[in-house]
Amino acid sequence: MSEANPGGYARAATEAIRRHPEVRAAVTAATHTFDSHRVEAWSEIDPDRWRDWARDVKQHVLTHLDRYLEEAETRLARRGAHVHWAENDAEAVDLLARITARHGVKRVVKAKSMLTEELGVNASLEARGIHVRETDLGEYIIQLLGQPPSHIVGPAIHLSVDDCRRLFNERFGTPLDATPDALAATAREALRADFLAADLGISGGNFLTADTGTLALIENEGNIRLSTSAPRIHVAFVGIEKLLPRLTDLSCFLQLTSRNATGQAIGNYVSLITGPRRPGEPDGPEELHVILVDNGRTRVLADDTAWEALRCVRCGSCLNICPVYRQTGGHPYGYTYSGPIGAILAPGLLGLEEAMPLPFASSLCGACADVCPVRIPIPDLLLYWRERAVEAGLVPAVERAGMKAYATAATHPALFAAAGASLRYLPWEMGGRALPVLGQWSGERAPPEFSATSFRALWREGIE
Amino acid sequence: MSARERILARIQEALAQRPRTPHPGAFGGWRPRPLPDDAVDGFVEMFTRAGGEVQRVPDADAARAFLQALGSEPPVAAVGAAVGATVPPALDPGLPAAPPESAALGVSMARAAVGETGSLVLDARDGRLTQLLPPVHVVLVRASSVHRTLVEALADLRADLPSALGLHSGPSKSADIGQVLVKGVHGPGRVVALLLEE
Repeated sequence: MSEANPGGYARAATEAIRRHPEVRAAVTAATHTFDSHRVEAWSEIDPDRWRDWARDVKQHVLTHLDRYLEEAETRLARRGAHVHWAENDAEAVDLLARITARHGVKRVVKAKSMLTEELGVNASLEARGIHVRETDLGEYIIQLLGQPPSHIVGPAIHLSVDDCRRLFNERFGTPLDATPDALAATAREALRADFLAADLGISGGNFLTADTGTLALIENEGNIRLSTSAPRIHVAFVGIEKLLPRLTDLSCFLQLTSRNATGQAIGNYVSLITGPRRPGEPDGPEELHVILVDNGRTRVLADDTAWEALRCVRCGSCLNICPVYRQTGGHPYGYTYSGPIGAILAPGLLGLEEAMPLPFASSLCGACADVCPVRIPIPDLLLYWRERAVEAGLVPAVERAGMKAYATAATHPALFAAAGASLRYLPWEMGGRALPVLGQWSGERAPPEFSATSFRALWREGIE
Repeated sequence: MSARERILARIQEALAQRPRTPHPGAFGGWRPRPLPDDAVDGFVEMFTRAGGEVQRVPDADAARAFLQALGSEPPVAAVGAAVGATVPPALDPGLPAAPPESAALGVSMARAAVGETGSLVLDARDGRLTQLLPPVHVVLVRASSVHRTLVEALADLRADLPSALGLHSGPSKSADIGQVLVKGVHGPGRVVALLLEE
């Protein structure tokens, strides 16, 4: 299974900001670009109505999920696809292992898929001596660097052009001032050989339509089309929440996901895959396997509040607009899904204790909810998980004591006034460093400058 | 119990007390400014905006002439072209043939196109690799096959689905290297929609 480490968030985020200003610069620039493209793309549509419609379709699917899964399974089987079910990551990679063993697979090409990251597919293949190559340009770059993706849509947005130049110089001997075009051409050549030599292609699935058993995949480079067309076997990992009732429902979802993710009217390439190669078709895989994956999703579905997160279409727009994600990028979150959506998916999929402190890695500004294409109430869900964390005693004792003290002060006006006034006379620099919690806080920040007269004093006198 | 049965049982249990909500019905594609009335106009605008090229030709002769001119240019003349299996003989330019892996040009017949998104709809029966491997891709598309909206196109395609449909809406591109746009990453860097107006 993939190694999740949300527990290291605070330290990793601090280190990212202190030691890697270049990551912050790259991520901030990339997310601003993504978001400005979304704003432009939204100006051509009526985003409120599109989002209402998309939310309602997803809500409908989730409240009829058993029925649609069975319908999709029937359609897939009728078109000659093999359908498998995996309760967790271990089962999912085991199903893949059986397919690779049966066919003697040695070389695999992979289309970008967050679910396969969640399941740890690459590590499982490599452990069995199978060569696996990521083919999305960004995924390829981070695979060469041995890093996980830092963003749902742009896995390598934490890297600068110079980072890529250095990497390609080391690996392929391209000059250190090579243009991005030249670097991409180098990658194209290397990967073209991989596509043509691979026995098996792996993809995820953006959507799976129940009425036709069609798998829909969105991309820009053509690597997904190639990974699902050139090798003789195609294995698709699909989360059980990815169902849509009808092929025609894709009309909104393909466009809205694209507009939200990159600002395009639609991704450059959309694959609509219905079964393996048919008689009379010149090429395409002889076998198609669809692995339907639970891995915690039914547990989320059972939660009357948290289940709304299952509507997510993985567009990444909540990451792009998040003032917290923008400072650090995705790596410090220590989980496949980072940013606001990661902070509400992790407690459901991993379990709350393992996901701590991600529900707290947010300022609750609410921007994520304003852009979500399926209107997931992300700030409400962050608060929900925070409440659950406090109930479960997962919040540090010092913080609980602090909140309790604040609650007492806030409900006793005289005490509140006295406590407020006393803050003006605290030896901030010294005292801050001496206190266990404040020490960490004040070490990063300058002490506040107080005005001559407090707000409360001004209020008593009457503000003009 | 199998994994399938356990997953379905957990879903049923999770949904036991959950109010079921209805499907919202047909997608309206709501916009502040309506799409062009003419589907072809919409297609030309959107496909061009995404970096694709459009050549409007009046008939099959003109289409063949365009392809033959392209075929006389050095790379195609030297290496050859891959032509899709469903390109009708009347449109086949008769260029020297090459497999998609090595061809300098791919020629495909579009099953349909979509104005709303500027997409060419490519059918697996035409050959997938011809649509993807050559660096230049010319796609023949009949003006009469262009749908105004994606929902109309999908409703029409649904009756006859091949193993794969590819919606191609411009040249292959990526911004994964430092957010700088590059073309022709895996698929063709140049895509021409050859629009037959007859």
